[in-house]
Amino acid sequence: MSKLEDVKINVENGKTKLVPELVQEALDEGNAALDILQAMVNGMGVVGDKFSSGAIFVPEMLIAAKAMSKGVEILKPHLAGDASVSLGTCIIGTVQGDLHDIGKNLVAMMLESAGFTMVDLGVDVPAQKFVEAIKSNPNVKLVACSGLLSTTMPAMKNTVAEIKASGLSGFKVIVGGAPVTETFADEIGADGYAPDAGRAAIKAKQLVAVL
Amino acid sequence: MLTKRENLMETIKGGNPDRFVNQYEFLEIILEAPLRTRPQKGQTITNEWGITYSWPENQLGPFPVHTGDFIVLKDVTQWKEMVKAPSVMFSEERWEAAVKHAESVDRREQFVTVFFASGTFEMTHMLMGMENAMMALYEEPETMHDLINYLTDYEIEYAKQVIKYLKPDALFHHDDWGSQRSSFMSPDMFEEFFLEPYKRAYGFWKDNGVELIVHHSDSYAANLVPYMIDMGIDIWQGVMTTNNTPELIKKFGGQISFMGELDSGPLDHPDWTREAISEQVRKACESCGKHYFIPCLTQGLNFSSFPGVYDAATEAINEMSKKMF
Repeated sequence: MSKLEDVKINVENGKTKLVPELVQEALDEGNAALDILQAMVNGMGVVGDKFSSGAIFVPEMLIAAKAMSKGVEILKPHLAGDASVSLGTCIIGTVQGDLHDIGKNLVAMMLESAGFTMVDLGVDVPAQKFVEAIKSNPNVKLVACSGLLSTTMPAMKNTVAEIKASGLSGFKVIVGGAPVTETFADEIGADGYAPDAGRAAIKAKQLVAVL
Repeated sequence: MLTKRENLMETIKGGNPDRFVNQYEFLEIILEAPLRTRPQKGQTITNEWGITYSWPENQLGPFPVHTGDFIVLKDVTQWKEMVKAPSVMFSEERWEAAVKHAESVDRREQFVTVFFASGTFEMTHMLMGMENAMMALYEEPETMHDLINYLTDYEIEYAKQVIKYLKPDALFHHDDWGSQRSSFMSPDMFEEFFLEPYKRAYGFWKDNGVELIVHHSDSYAANLVPYMIDMGIDIWQGVMTTNNTPELIKKFGGQISFMGELDSGPLDHPDWTREAISEQVRKACESCGKHYFIPCLTQGLNFSSFPGVYDAATEAINEMSKKMF
């Protein structure tokens, strides 16, 4: 097994203590930092697929993400100044009227693992705050709106409408959450929808690839 | 006509019910029993465990606050220093209203029911935040076992007091074990950490007069049903349609019963309609049948978030009873 494959598998398995050592070994062997990062991203991709299919659950996702973040800490000095590592900035938040955050946090974690630079606005976020965040953060490529309650779906519709009406461009809007469907996402003018955190990362990459 | 209690027993034993059990009608829940401080709408409070809850005006219920310094247990290895179970000793005056309510209940008609929340799993993430609680199951398993046992000990101490004063014959116990589509943790992990503690807690209640354990989890949790049976749950309340309830009834009916199938999300909202509720009640009753099933809004406790929804569901269930019995 190559060292990169070793890194990937141990991220998948959430080996938080092993991954930093393996990343250092991979660097010492002469592997490029970007290649090692990509191996970890690929590992998290497998994690996302397994979560979507129900093969693994929230603790496994979290521990895998932690393993990756430990590995990224080792890589950071070798990636400094390399703009190509980021897929762009993603603004994420749970829409106004909703305090649920675990789903949003899982999506944020998967998007970060996929290569986005995350700006997390938290919960109960008014539409205008999303717009302000898009204006005030550089290189925004994605805006992700989460909502768990059917009662806050009007707020999600309003949020997407305000973002679209703002005149700002250069990014896509993705929505998700328990009561959200693809049909609803299309109705409110979102650019994309994902039913869970694993598929959110896949959809996000597809959306920004066409920008 | 059977009493509500008799009809419930016929339903869950696979006997001869004469109508659908109508939501919570068989439980007389003694909410006056002292337990914990909860915020009212618009309030933020810190309860006896040190957990801060906020209930903003525009929300359906309170949420724990886990930003900044509000997390009670930041490092699970320090739980013994940071987590102090509140006293379960309350004055006679605090118990008075609950005792009076319990004494007024006709036990031939209904079960005198104690409500217990938050359950053991919920307490771990109320204290630590969800992400920390979940990761601790991997990173500090022995410590989590100890914390979970401590929380279980608290529940049993509380149970002793409730049993002394109210002599309940049912328990309505709140602990959400999943999201809409998935359990929060794998069945193996659930078995490892929560089965034995829950067997201990539910065993204590049942050894001391509680005849019926109704466990609330408005979620997907079909993969945990074998453990629910093992720990002594008689009725799983909050069964969402995502669980394929008719299949669960076929597979497990007779060992456990299922109370739900009227998902609150799509039915209980400001623009609710009687037609939508009636339609879902019809589907639920026809697909789940007369045994091991209680049609019920999945939300915990016997009310809806928006006025009229609970009563509309009750009326629709009565109509289905007329049609199907």
